Amino acid sequence: MSILQARAITKQFGGLLALSAVELTIAAGEFVAVIGPNGAGKSTLLNILTGLLMPDGGQVLFDGKDITRLATHKRVRSGLGRTFQHGRTFARLTVLENVMIGAAIRGDRTERAIRDAALAVLDQMGLAAEANESIGSLSYGRRRMVELCRALACEPRVLLLDEPAAGLNSGEVDQLVDRLTELRARQQLTIVLIEHNMGMVMRLAERIAVLNFGRKIADGPPAQVQADPAVLSAYLGHGYNRASV
Amino acid sequence: MADLSQLLINGLAIGSVYALAAIGFVIVYSATGVVNFAAGQFVMFGTFAGVAMLINARLPWPSGYGAALAAMALFGALFFFVVYLPLRKSPIVTIIVATVAVGITMQNVALLTFGSWPFRLPSPVEGWTVTIAGTVVPAHFVAVIVVTAVMVGLLWLLFYRTPVGIGMRAVAQDIQAARLMGLKVNRLLALSWILAALLAGVAGLMLGPIWFADVNMGDPIALKAFAATIIGGFGSLPGAIVGGMFVGLSEVLGASYVSSAYKDLISFGIMIGFLLVRPQGVFGERIQDRG
Amino acid sequence: MRVPFLITAVIVSAGVLLSLVLPDYHLRLLNLSVVSAIAVIGLNFAFGYAGLISLGHAAFVGMGAYGLAILTTRMGWSPWRAMLVATTATAAFAGLIGLPLLRLKGHYLALATLGLNVSFYIVAANWIDLTGGTNGISRIPELTIAGRAIAGERPFLWFGLAVLAAITIVAFMIHTSRYGRAMIAVRDDETAAAMSGIDVTMTKIAAFVLSAVCAAIAGCLFACHVRFVAPEDFSYAHSITYLAMLIVGGESTIVGAILGAAVLTFLPEWLRFLGSAYLAFFGLMMLAILVFLPSGIAGLGRYLPRLRSPTRAAPASVSAKELGP
Repeated sequence: MSILQARAITKQFGGLLALSAVELTIAAGEFVAVIGPNGAGKSTLLNILTGLLMPDGGQVLFDGKDITRLATHKRVRSGLGRTFQHGRTFARLTVLENVMIGAAIRGDRTERAIRDAALAVLDQMGLAAEANESIGSLSYGRRRMVELCRALACEPRVLLLDEPAAGLNSGEVDQLVDRLTELRARQQLTIVLIEHNMGMVMRLAERIAVLNFGRKIADGPPAQVQADPAVLSAYLGHGYNRASV
Repeated sequence: MADLSQLLINGLAIGSVYALAAIGFVIVYSATGVVNFAAGQFVMFGTFAGVAMLINARLPWPSGYGAALAAMALFGALFFFVVYLPLRKSPIVTIIVATVAVGITMQNVALLTFGSWPFRLPSPVEGWTVTIAGTVVPAHFVAVIVVTAVMVGLLWLLFYRTPVGIGMRAVAQDIQAARLMGLKVNRLLALSWILAALLAGVAGLMLGPIWFADVNMGDPIALKAFAATIIGGFGSLPGAIVGGMFVGLSEVLGASYVSSAYKDLISFGIMIGFLLVRPQGVFGERIQDRG
Repeated sequence: MRVPFLITAVIVSAGVLLSLVLPDYHLRLLNLSVVSAIAVIGLNFAFGYAGLISLGHAAFVGMGAYGLAILTTRMGWSPWRAMLVATTATAAFAGLIGLPLLRLKGHYLALATLGLNVSFYIVAANWIDLTGGTNGISRIPELTIAGRAIAGERPFLWFGLAVLAAITIVAFMIHTSRYGRAMIAVRDDETAAAMSGIDVTMTKIAAFVLSAVCAAIAGCLFACHVRFVAPEDFSYAHSITYLAMLIVGGESTIVGAILGAAVLTFLPEWLRFLGSAYLAFFGLMMLAILVFLPSGIAGLGRYLPRLRSPTRAAPASVSAKELGP
């Protein structure tokens, strides 16, 4: 039973066909990576899945229910979480307050309970010491971690990550990989990862979907995708053959 | 029918003035992203520059108008250095309040210099009339429409046929890219402000003979210019013209056929209607990352 | 919650102290400051927190004032009852108009609210039967407590300070609650706020309605104190003044709202020695403050006790953010 499904998603921006009949089915508990060259439509797909953009055709299903036109905040309340490319945090709030925004997702929580839940997430991710710092005083890598904490505080069942490793140094990437691995071990969390960092993708993904020019050109286990000629030619150009690897 | 054609000419004349004010406003907005809430006071300065040169200094028409416009150009440059440059990185609201503050200063400087009694700024074609479609119309109204058309033509030439104008359009579209292409961006931005001041000057000189020259005239003009740009389409020059004409016509026709007291309500009602239904106005604005 | 109580206590004490030493003329200004402060605290919710550029705030003040004026002078209601109804009606109006209006952003919203303010003025000035036109409505009754009318500058100041204190406390409570944080989040990054489960539209409308409630209360107090309302008291110039008060005082802070209201009410007075040029200087001073003190007066406080990193985040400029490729 799929938890998140994109069915025949099409999106056009003026003359540009950003996505063309893209199909993606995520089963509960899976770790799926979505990769592809720049401009392939990955972030657009993510925006459609999360309701920030409406598709021109196709449907988005969550737990079998059609959420194609559902408002973004309602999708979050149903269990869909997301982080953004380059990270989006709230500049005027402290680290703790940023995460408390997410923890407030449960309407019945008291202020104290929200605070405790947020602190718990920060603790898990190793950021408890900076709880009262202003967001602006953190390094880029730590800020992205705070964003991840906020998304986790929303208690998602499916977490969509948009290039979480972009701009991180290799030490920070390792940390991120460790944290994500821990998360998966601790709770039943479905993760969809958009990434360019292939090392990270190969370490974490159970399945990889490849987009190119708005179309899905491959979908399968990492080893299979790595050897797929369509994928290789999308990244490296035509005329490339396996022998030159 | 004579009545209607008179109203139409009146409406187009006033509309032309609004259009000129709106064009200046749009030029500055497109190039710099600034919503200039002192736009009305710019026009008021134009009228009073005319008063200073033609009435106080008693210059003859050509040099009087020329001197007034030169003064406006200088003022535009001053505004660029004193107001725009220090604030160009500030958030939009700060700039709005700042331009309002400067507008207040402008209004009071005019008050101190010229006093609170309204002046009558005469027109070069004072007292002449023209007969159109059976109606007798003051020649000045026709002159206003003609002058506006000429100005629009000159602007078109500037923006589409001269390197300077093309540079200004480039800056308006993508300031970073313009910089990277080696355009002297600050100079072009200053020119945008000077051009806006000049247009406001022309508008003021045209408006003087129609209304009275009054230090408080700026606010109503600004409101009409804003309505014109919203209706016509915020970043669009043709939009400013169409919007200006529309506001002028609806004001004059509204006053006659509906109610004189509520005539302004009609323009603003339409403006709000556009904002709610079609905020990009008739000609639309390029979707940009501006607040 | 200790700091807010402390701040409120300081402000109220200062006010009471001044009420005992200042002459009537300055007390009048102080009263106007208090009324403006209440209105600007409201504007802080809409603009300071939620980032809604409202140039129509004075119209809400006017709706409260005229509402009370009409209900008391034309229908003989008691001012308290009239205040309750006028405030509720203004809030309801704000909620209704917020639905279509708050889809707009930035300068579009600014111009739409400006248009509303101007429309309010035109109606108030021309619907003579209801509003008395430009002559306004006079002989508005004063508020009474336990049979005693709140008349005169000093008693009104004490009453006004009490109301201000109450509203300040409530404002602080909202600021430190999930609702206040949600408003701040909406302004800082609307997309991220939506992605954190915040209903952005509802949050904006709530902020707008909250601002209207404060404005209407301020309007009612104004009406009962000055006992006369006219359209010029609620023109868009006043809306800009409220915005300026907030920015000069320190936007998105409650203390800033109060400071800004006081400073900008008294500044023209302090500049009177400049004679007829004082308004021109007022404009220039405003410009100088905006250039040199972008965080306003309250922002100076950040450089005091803990010398934290000077790059304290400024409120996000109200611009549309891109969604990404």
